Amino acid sequence: MTSMRKVRRIVSAMLLLLPVTGGAQVFLSGQSAADFVKSSPDETQLAVNGGRPTFGWQSHLFVDGMVNENVGALVNIRVTNTQTVIVDYAAIKLTNLTPLQLSFQAGKFDLPFGNLADRRFPRNNPLYGIPLIYTYATSLKNYVMTRAELLSLRGRGAGMPLLDNGIYADGAMVFGSWGILDYAAAVSAGTVSTASYSGANVNSDLTKTFRVALTPLTGLVIGAGYSWGAYLAESDYVPAWLSNVNEYQQRTAEMDFKFSRGHAVVDGEGVYNVWEAPFQSGDQNLSAFGYTLEGKYTLFPRFYAALRVSGLRFGLIDTGSELDRWDYNVNEWEGGIGYFLYKDVLLKFVRRETRTYGGSRPRDGLTAVQLVVAY
Amino acid sequence: MLSAVLPVCFLVVLAEAQTDSTSPVSSTGEVHGSIVITKADEMRDESVRTGLFGRYAAGQGREGSLLMHAADTLEVPLSEKAAVYLEGEGLSLHQYPPSNREPALDQRNMQFHPQVLPILAGTTVRFPNRDHLFHNVFSYSQAKEFDLGRYPINDSRSVTFDKPGVVRVYCDIHSNMNAIILVLPHPYFATPDDEGRYQIRHVPPGRYTLVLWCGREIVAQRTVTIRQDESIEENFTH
Repeated sequence: MTSMRKVRRIVSAMLLLLPVTGGAQVFLSGQSAADFVKSSPDETQLAVNGGRPTFGWQSHLFVDGMVNENVGALVNIRVTNTQTVIVDYAAIKLTNLTPLQLSFQAGKFDLPFGNLADRRFPRNNPLYGIPLIYTYATSLKNYVMTRAELLSLRGRGAGMPLLDNGIYADGAMVFGSWGILDYAAAVSAGTVSTASYSGANVNSDLTKTFRVALTPLTGLVIGAGYSWGAYLAESDYVPAWLSNVNEYQQRTAEMDFKFSRGHAVVDGEGVYNVWEAPFQSGDQNLSAFGYTLEGKYTLFPRFYAALRVSGLRFGLIDTGSELDRWDYNVNEWEGGIGYFLYKDVLLKFVRRETRTYGGSRPRDGLTAVQLVVAY
Repeated sequence: MLSAVLPVCFLVVLAEAQTDSTSPVSSTGEVHGSIVITKADEMRDESVRTGLFGRYAAGQGREGSLLMHAADTLEVPLSEKAAVYLEGEGLSLHQYPPSNREPALDQRNMQFHPQVLPILAGTTVRFPNRDHLFHNVFSYSQAKEFDLGRYPINDSRSVTFDKPGVVRVYCDIHSNMNAIILVLPHPYFATPDDEGRYQIRHVPPGRYTLVLWCGREIVAQRTVTIRQDESIEENFTH
């Protein structure tokens, strides 16, 4: 059978599974935010515009193209004050495929890992930033480094985060639910740390990601995920002594929970990550643990307070003379209040303090005022 | 089809009276009629959009999976999204004691039921949760601001609406959920039945504006004159 005939058969079979009800529509919605930010001076990754008072903005446009109640194409477009237009999400989604009621999506989408979900958007995020595990760039890059280079970049923010800012990757995913259990499995180009580098895959491996979530009682969700895949890029810079970059995997496990009751909502997440790093003197596992705990309480209608604590802990590496952490540990808290001027207009005041255990800038701070509109 | 057309027959049958014995005058008239809505249902369309395409719902617990299945239960009957009421200066001259009955605005299948609820000022409304997940009912309307927080299935909270006006009710968790409570200064209003038939009884004679509210807004209004012991018929097609 030719490959074209195979494709036709697969597409035909999929179409037969779909309960088509007809009628196509396109819906637009979005969120925009305007910020005023003043951070500590310097050029660290935690500073904004070198500490100068800065106005910024971002807009997220959501396009929902519905073929019918079970078939749609979803696109998220992000525009920021750097005039950058980014397509975060562009996927075809098929829901409730009979007979197993499975759902499927393919394209570019958020990997099923962690519980950041829609808190990545300013209307749903009670604070200004998102947790360190999603944003803090470690000193490890996705190409082969020397130990000296790795150590020299500690605290500089030159490498990969544990979870790449939203973890949007190109791939395919199947997901569904069974009683109180939700499950999702995806294959993608790019790991959870290098998702935004994907598109045309940077190596010959595919990342595999699994997630399950239990809802034992209303208001409590406990989730766990595991993901692994090659993270190094195949390039001209791969040294001759390294036979195959695809053998070096990133393995990431996480657990999370969400609890809500009354006027309180609490989210927590812990991530343990290992990068298998090739060094000429011998391979080494570079481990890192990250956590975040976030709470929000609605004090009275329109008005809430929120607090998030986050941290990163890095494993030890043999520097040649001693054992030392391959990147500096970091602790952070971010607190703020929010006031809804209207249902979809939110004003936030946020203060953030970050402490880095090493390097030249042990303390960083940031104050932000953000006005958000959802539409 | 998403742009649903709601055919409603024109039979005029007496529907449940909303006014009971609260009328301050003994000689009254009534207005009755039927409602036909032919325009697309905006409330339903929004539910379809957000219900099906909760982008970040995959693998996020039962909340997410229910969100993706919510598109199955979206048809909103006329009895849940329309109300007819009278406006007139004379109607606000009296004090009307609220009924002891506490109407409910259910949270069920990721929607409010009904989506339009007319009540007399002073009435207490219950907000029972009928879903196996949390909702967070709130309103920032001038007529009433409240935030009920999150509570489990079959639990309920209550709010008393003292001030006449339009109260727009939402769920903080599910942005597709919305409802409207019409807090009226008098009891001369009616909710149509599923066929669109309505009746407002015990109306003091006078000249009024008859208002049809459907979905999120007033869709029709006209001047009517109600005379003693007369029943007039007013039909709406929108």
